[in-house]
Amino acid sequence: MRFRFCGDLDCPDWVLAEISTLAKISSVKLKLICGQVLKDLQGEGIDYEKILKLTSDARFESGDVKATIAVLSFILSSAAKHSVDSDSLSSELQQLGLPKEHATGLCRSYEEKQSPLQDSLRTHSLRLNHLDSVSWRVDQTLSSSELQQVNEPLVHLKFTVRDGDRGMMEPFAMTVSAEKFRVLLAELRQAHAMMKTLS
Amino acid sequence: MLLVLSEEHKEHLGFLTQVDSAVVGEFGRIAVEFLRKGTNPKIYEGAARKLNVSSDVIQHGVEGLTYLLTEGSKLMISEIDFQDSVLVLGFSEELNKLLLQLYLDNRKEIRNILGELAPKLPSYHSLEWRLDVQLASRSLRQQIKPAVTIKLHLDQNGDQTTKILQTDPATLLHLIQQLEQALGEMKTNHCRRIVRNIK
Repeated sequence: MRFRFCGDLDCPDWVLAEISTLAKISSVKLKLICGQVLKDLQGEGIDYEKILKLTSDARFESGDVKATIAVLSFILSSAAKHSVDSDSLSSELQQLGLPKEHATGLCRSYEEKQSPLQDSLRTHSLRLNHLDSVSWRVDQTLSSSELQQVNEPLVHLKFTVRDGDRGMMEPFAMTVSAEKFRVLLAELRQAHAMMKTLS
Repeated sequence: MLLVLSEEHKEHLGFLTQVDSAVVGEFGRIAVEFLRKGTNPKIYEGAARKLNVSSDVIQHGVEGLTYLLTEGSKLMISEIDFQDSVLVLGFSEELNKLLLQLYLDNRKEIRNILGELAPKLPSYHSLEWRLDVQLASRSLRQQIKPAVTIKLHLDQNGDQTTKILQTDPATLLHLIQQLEQALGEMKTNHCRRIVRNIK
């Protein structure tokens, strides 16, 4: 059976198995747990104690609690990844065997947070490095050992690049003469114009 | 297969005859604990004071026991062979039984620990990917060139390294096909025969 929230593929077996675990919690508590999982997916950290308290009357063992968090993370992040709207998600979850109130509660939390979740997933997408800042200085060379009167402007550029994984800043400096700088500026302006036509 | 113990080893283990079996049991427990977590010289001092001998003798005794256990577990010798190897040391019947019990109880765990000491190549940890399309470059406008950028996270003994790769979709499809062929090899008769014989 193909599901949209799994990217038009079959639903993984472990998700099917854990849907019955989700049905054991009341739908109100499920909605609250969803809120916590959504916070975690957006990078704000998870309050494990709160989730333990919410699952305490269903008498879950620690394995069950972790399975619940894992299956909710998968469903919510997968649905956001494939841009599934909340009604389709609700009907697909009901096809998998999740009771109606649980599915509607889950999808309502999903709908509220769908755009912020997709934005945070976009920022976490693979990116090799970022340009953090640029600083520049214009100098005038007066004279040198080769020629007494030089009188030429010179641009010093320093780019600070942030490495993808480790977030370390690396400075990258260079000096550019006036003509080369004019060429660089013209080319970058052309690239910028092209980017503007696309966005 | 019998364990051959050197003269020095026999001398070190000779100390065990001079103490009663409860102490030997304690030494056995210390030896296994050292195999799990690493040596702690302070324990030698404490034992030396209690038994009124130098800490060197205690250290040799514990190390002798450790070596006996690891060699036995490494070669996976049977009970009878272990008993025969220990008979050479001329211990009392009770001590022999104690050593045999120690060996049998801890054999599996020691084999697990020894298994982790083998050298390992970097192993797969996770994969991030990105699909881009190159629309224009400084030299050529109006292009359409898709490319897949892959960041492979590898793990070697706890150190994480990353490898960044880039490929066009045709090569990626070829790669997937080759990997599926490699997985398919497991289903051939040749592999099935070998797997059956190992089990």
